[in-house]
Amino acid sequence: MKNILEIKNLYKKYDNFELKDVSFNLPKGTIMGFIGENGAGKTTTIKAILNIIQSYSGHIKIFGLDNRKDEKQIKEDIGVVLDDMFFPEILTPNDINKSMAGIYKNWDSKMFQYYLKEFHLLPNKQIKTFSKGMRKKLEIATALAHKPKLLILDEPTSGLDPIARAEIISIFQKFIEDADCSILLSSHITTDLEHIADYITFISNGKILLSKATNELLDKYGIVKCTEAEFKKIDKKDYVKYKKTKYQYEVLTTDKKSFKSKYDIKVIDKITLDDLMVLMIKGEE
Amino acid sequence: MLGFIKKDLAMIKSNFKLLEILIVIYTLMGICGEMDISFILPFMSVMIMISTFSYDNYNKWDAYAISLPDGRKNSVRSKYVATILMVFIVSIITLLLSFIISYINTKTINYEQILISLLGTIFATLLVLTFMYPIIYKFGVEKARIGIFIIVFVMIIIGSFLAQYLDMTFIGKSLSFLENYLVIILIIITIIMVYLSYKISQKIFMKKEF
Repeated sequence: MKNILEIKNLYKKYDNFELKDVSFNLPKGTIMGFIGENGAGKTTTIKAILNIIQSYSGHIKIFGLDNRKDEKQIKEDIGVVLDDMFFPEILTPNDINKSMAGIYKNWDSKMFQYYLKEFHLLPNKQIKTFSKGMRKKLEIATALAHKPKLLILDEPTSGLDPIARAEIISIFQKFIEDADCSILLSSHITTDLEHIADYITFISNGKILLSKATNELLDKYGIVKCTEAEFKKIDKKDYVKYKKTKYQYEVLTTDKKSFKSKYDIKVIDKITLDDLMVLMIKGEE
Repeated sequence: MLGFIKKDLAMIKSNFKLLEILIVIYTLMGICGEMDISFILPFMSVMIMISTFSYDNYNKWDAYAISLPDGRKNSVRSKYVATILMVFIVSIITLLLSFIISYINTKTINYEQILISLLGTIFATLLVLTFMYPIIYKFGVEKARIGIFIIVFVMIIIGSFLAQYLDMTFIGKSLSFLENYLVIILIIITIIMVYLSYKISQKIFMKKEF
């Protein structure tokens, strides 16, 4: 089994939104950043993986098993952080510890307590007294303490300050030191992903726009900055999208090197995931 | 499933104080020879369990629960088991208290009467569960609150209609015929009802999307 998660032709229709033929693979031992604008379909895709929504078509395989037929077995080995969905807030971390011990076969109370200490969370305080960041940390501790093989995290770092984010990201990195484990991580904070994600999958308006190794993406893609006259000379085949700004044209190329050799344009900037998202979504073809 | 039950019981532990107060009121009223309000304790335990649905709903627990192993099945099953467990524990406490009150008041214990009246209470309480839970799973706990008023209202209307127009001597006769089997029949009806209710809730929740 090379891929820990395989999604093939996932399709789901709502009244005002459609998930169209979503397909991508998450290889073992890697972190995949799942990016896209608000309402792009990230959470819907994650809900389908976990069968929180059911009336979709397509195939989802996790650990090589069918996510519907072998649901129970699969879920023993998945840790999740979902956006805004968790234990009722009148419970305490201690209550969660006791409950989870009766839910997961592999629940490790000591490990949970270790994370509580690490994150400075008091075990006897009700969740409702926790700040947003503390809640996220508790959710992450809960997701990790049954030693899952796959972490599915929907916006796990949202609402956290840079120090807490760095702390949590180093925990994720430690997590995939075990070559059998993988993480699917959706986030708006793309700078975090540039550091830790091995792959980037970009979804927009219910469609996967790209799913690639982060290195390849950041090395090969580039933003050409040029004048209108220079832009008019560029062959349409050589760029994906462009955006006209006040003083210049910003053009997205998927191959900096060959672009450079073909055209006499000096400024080709390195791309960031934020640039990529803005140009892909807002740019013109 | 045990973990789900623990979670539900942990949620209502703050309500145990309310039950304790009710127990004291019940005991005092019983000793003073006031109205018998023993029905209130088991009934309250179901109401407290229904409040857990509100907390679940508020923090979107159901969606999270589905991401856990066997989450859909265990979510529903644990609600039924936890509620029935609560009703029985509270009923046993009520039963013991009733014995004590009866003894203090009359120096004897009227076992049969106390048992039958408690059994009636358990039956009525589980009837609430039977109707309410599938409605909660289908329409959500907020709308279901209206449902409970409608159910009670309809039951009162049917009851008063029956009392007015039905030949009571006939009921009296069939009751005396049933009397010997009343307890067993009630228990069987309760079990069947709760089981069907559970199956319906399960079916609703299995298809639910969040």
